[in-house]
Amino acid sequence: MASNANQNHNADDPVLQWVTFRLDGETYGINVMQVQEVLRYSEIAPVPGAPAYVLGIINLRGNVVTVIDTRHRFALPSGDLTDNTRIVIIEADNHVIGILVDSVAEVVYLRQSEIEMAPNVGNEESAKFIQGVCHKNNELLILIELNKLLTDREWAELEDI
Amino acid sequence: MSEHNSSDVLQDYFSDLLGRHPAQNTLRGDKEPKPSGLTPEPEAKPKPRAETMPVADAELLAAKRAQLQKLLHSARVQVDQVAEDKVSVPVPSTERAAELRPTPEPQVEVPQAEVQVLEDAVALNVLDEQLEWLENGRPRWAQETFEVLLFKVSGLTLAVPLISLGQIQPLTDELTPLFGQADWFMGLQPTPSGKVRTVNTARFVMPERYDPAFEETAKYVISINGVPWGLAVDTVEQPISLNPEDVKWRSSRTQRPWLAGTVKAHMCALLDIPMVGKLLTDADRNKGRGHGGLTG
Repeated sequence: MASNANQNHNADDPVLQWVTFRLDGETYGINVMQVQEVLRYSEIAPVPGAPAYVLGIINLRGNVVTVIDTRHRFALPSGDLTDNTRIVIIEADNHVIGILVDSVAEVVYLRQSEIEMAPNVGNEESAKFIQGVCHKNNELLILIELNKLLTDREWAELEDI
Repeated sequence: MSEHNSSDVLQDYFSDLLGRHPAQNTLRGDKEPKPSGLTPEPEAKPKPRAETMPVADAELLAAKRAQLQKLLHSARVQVDQVAEDKVSVPVPSTERAAELRPTPEPQVEVPQAEVQVLEDAVALNVLDEQLEWLENGRPRWAQETFEVLLFKVSGLTLAVPLISLGQIQPLTDELTPLFGQADWFMGLQPTPSGKVRTVNTARFVMPERYDPAFEETAKYVISINGVPWGLAVDTVEQPISLNPEDVKWRSSRTQRPWLAGTVKAHMCALLDIPMVGKLLTDADRNKGRGHGGLTG
């Protein structure tokens, strides 16, 4: 009986893995299933006429990948490139893009029930990127909903780059 | 902020609140007549209340002060703990928090979401009761003598009724801002009772006179009873008893619905905290989607 209850509890409360990265002093998490690889910073070729949130493109083993300025997207102040700067290649909404982050930290395991809804006050559209928050290892993780990072129109814009 | 500036801000702010134009005391030269009923009296030495107060009232006040001291002490203990080594020690809780905490019950598997929805509903009902203003032009919580806690925000003294207070917690480095939020949202402050959604009180209450230094000077967050929100403050001062007649209640609350009135004797604004809680809750577009924050 107790065993059945535990199984149900686990099914209702799955453990999810999140890749964490740092941006402007805060720690963010993205679903590990959407992360393809993590690259050291390499030269990003700017694209004339690209939207402001696009840093440029990189050549990833023969494939052109657009890199998003994550700080710009999250309305955070711009930062300097360092040895820890990384480009995280992710798949979101059937597209592959790179996001520039200050550093990549670790992979953490979170139960669904540990994730709390974040407030959404104000008029900024970027608030919708936050899927939830979770207190882990004495810090607050801000979990990002990558599928909402760009709108359909913006994905279409990226296709034209 | 310098002491001089704080004083000016406070003076101007209360001039506004009390309906008297600040220029009347300055060189700006506004000619609007001064409402006679609201003429500020010369600063009088505070009366020693204990001298004129019946013994029973004095004892009650002393008990309330002791309770507040205990509340403040709990916050200071937590500051010390953070400073020492973030050791996981059971944090002393306030009496109010203890009252609100559900009694432990035999373990039964109940989906977390259902528990949260239930807690939210109870909390909102409590809030709704406190929101009501009666025909005599006073809120339900101010029908008789009531206790308020004074605190300072960017040099301005604000008062909140004790009945609406949750806990006082220190603001720490763990305060985490979230992008894309309103400018009055400071961030989430993890506490033993949950994550307090911390409001930049200075920006919320007087955006037109906002001093960014507040983000550095704010030391505590006072959580609001029944909602996962709290107000960041610089310092917490003593509790006082107020008679409803001590307050100039606002007749129209359309413009600053969070302001219940002003207390001329203490040169402070009395916040309608239940209304603040409602405004904050209503402002959250994720409201009703369930959260795991504290509810009391």
